[in-house]
Amino acid sequence: MKRFYLRWGGVLVIGVIICLFGLARYQREVSHIPIEKFLDEKPTRAVRVLGMVVGGSLNRGGAGEPIQFTLSGTGAQVPVYYQGEDPENLRELKKLVIYGRWNPEEQRIESETILGVPNYGFVSWAYLVTLIPMTLFLFNMERKVALLYIMIKEEKVYQSEESA
Amino acid sequence: MHFFNTIRWIAWKDLLSEVRNRENISSMFFFALIVIFIFSFSFSLDPRTVQEVMPGIIWVAFGFTAIIGLGKSFLAEVHNDCMEYFQMLPVPKGAIYLGKFIGNVLFMLIVETILFPLFVLFFNLDVLEKFPQFLLIFGVATVGLSALGTLFSALTVQVRAREVMFPILLLPMAVPIFIGAVEATRGVFNGDAFALYSHWIQLLVVFDVIFVIVSFWIFEFILDF
Amino acid sequence: MILNRFIRWLGRYEGWFGGGAALCIGIGLYMGLVTSPPDYYQGEVVRIMYVHVPSAKTSLFAYLVLFIGSIWYLWKRDPVIDNMCHATAGIALFYVGTALLTGSIWAKPTWNTWWTWDPRLTSFAILFLTLVGYLMLRTFLDDKEKEATFAAILAIIGFIDLPIVYFSVEWWRTLHQPMSMSVRGISFAPEMLTPLILMSIGSSLLFSYMLMVRTQMLYLERLLEAKQGRLLSETRL
Repeated sequence: MKRFYLRWGGVLVIGVIICLFGLARYQREVSHIPIEKFLDEKPTRAVRVLGMVVGGSLNRGGAGEPIQFTLSGTGAQVPVYYQGEDPENLRELKKLVIYGRWNPEEQRIESETILGVPNYGFVSWAYLVTLIPMTLFLFNMERKVALLYIMIKEEKVYQSEESA
Repeated sequence: MHFFNTIRWIAWKDLLSEVRNRENISSMFFFALIVIFIFSFSFSLDPRTVQEVMPGIIWVAFGFTAIIGLGKSFLAEVHNDCMEYFQMLPVPKGAIYLGKFIGNVLFMLIVETILFPLFVLFFNLDVLEKFPQFLLIFGVATVGLSALGTLFSALTVQVRAREVMFPILLLPMAVPIFIGAVEATRGVFNGDAFALYSHWIQLLVVFDVIFVIVSFWIFEFILDF
Repeated sequence: MILNRFIRWLGRYEGWFGGGAALCIGIGLYMGLVTSPPDYYQGEVVRIMYVHVPSAKTSLFAYLVLFIGSIWYLWKRDPVIDNMCHATAGIALFYVGTALLTGSIWAKPTWNTWWTWDPRLTSFAILFLTLVGYLMLRTFLDDKEKEATFAAILAIIGFIDLPIVYFSVEWWRTLHQPMSMSVRGISFAPEMLTPLILMSIGSSLLFSYMLMVRTQMLYLERLLEAKQGRLLSETRL
């Protein structure tokens, strides 16, 4: 029984470590902040900001020219200056994630990448719904097998014919 | 010819006992009648809705009837300790299945032909001239339901919670019958040409053939002990 | 018999199956969640595919195993095969449940509904109900031999029924709801195919491992019952 619990303890530890790595990676590469929080902090490094493109504010230059528009959150608005390849998903009244940094002189976000809103909620639920019951199911079965071996060894009511 | 005699005698025995005590058919009939009443209270049935939901109502009522009737088809044998005699019969056990199956089909068809005019009466349907089409659909669907129902009845009659187990086993497997029968009935109600709903009848026929053959073969194992 | 010897030989490598499953699923999860690209239409949601498709495939495979095992039981009357069938049904129920749940979660963002009467979904729901009925029938019977036979019969009938259910629901659906919500073809990039194949292999290996453990569990339960002096088969009608 000791070996069994050691093995599953190992599995648990590895699982927790993988989850922590995953969370760290999510924080570093996927997570985004709302505009209010961004305007409060005004971080100097590049961050992802979630907001909606204000209707009528989108000002496309010609091909290769920078695009300017206003991004709005629940209360605040911020102008964005985007220079990069023409993004397909940039439309008015669309929620977007802008990856860029704050320019204090011009009072605007300067960005080179525009991303869609990541929808990981369903994905993480699907993986949790699969992996957690699967682990529990397997754990229960293995534990029962280990327990049954012990119980059969200790069961003395019936003696087999060879030992009698 | 022993084989066919067994089939005939078992079907005949079931019919005879039915004629003498009228237990099975009357309980099926009155149960279905109650289902009709409940449905007419549950839906507000103006003529247009009737056209929409009627096929479903008919087949839900017939399905419940099948559960009541088919579930009991081996009960008398178990109560009177006749299963052992069935096991001792020197014929392939499939013959017993076929006998019981024919008896069940006859019971169900009798109940359905009595019930259908009542549907017409209660819901003011205007379909009596299409009776042959309906009889065809009822026939093929009833054969399928009875083929599965007789087999599962023999399975569950020796189980502790047989009243629960029989519908739980039968209904999921009978889904194709219900789909096919309801759609074909809807086709007749709408006055469609036969070619428009004949594929449903083909589906039912395929279902019947497959399950009569499989059940006939597999019944050998049920009566093994 | 040569098949029994083969199975006994396989059983010696039980740990290898578990380890291989863990390895495949681990690499598959990493590739599926991190390195594979998001789909053009569905975005990140397409990553649900890497758990949904393998569990659906494995549950069909499990049902096939159950069908073959049931025929084998009716033929050879080997109680260990019966244990195997019982174990397979439990695991298949688990996989079908997983496939239904993840399918439902996937349907919400792509089809904007939790449930639709799609032929595949419906036949999986019927499969789920059949397996529940199968396991219930087994708990309600006391005589072990009778339990095994009846369950085998039910499994065979259910297996034959499944394609008929699929086609009837497909016809029915094309009649009532035109296929407006059909799956938009996911253009398979090779980066998506590799994790899918890895997860499928891992999932089948995991099924084999679970099958070995669970068969062992049911066998030991029966052994314990026998050792406690209970009769293996007691008839109660």
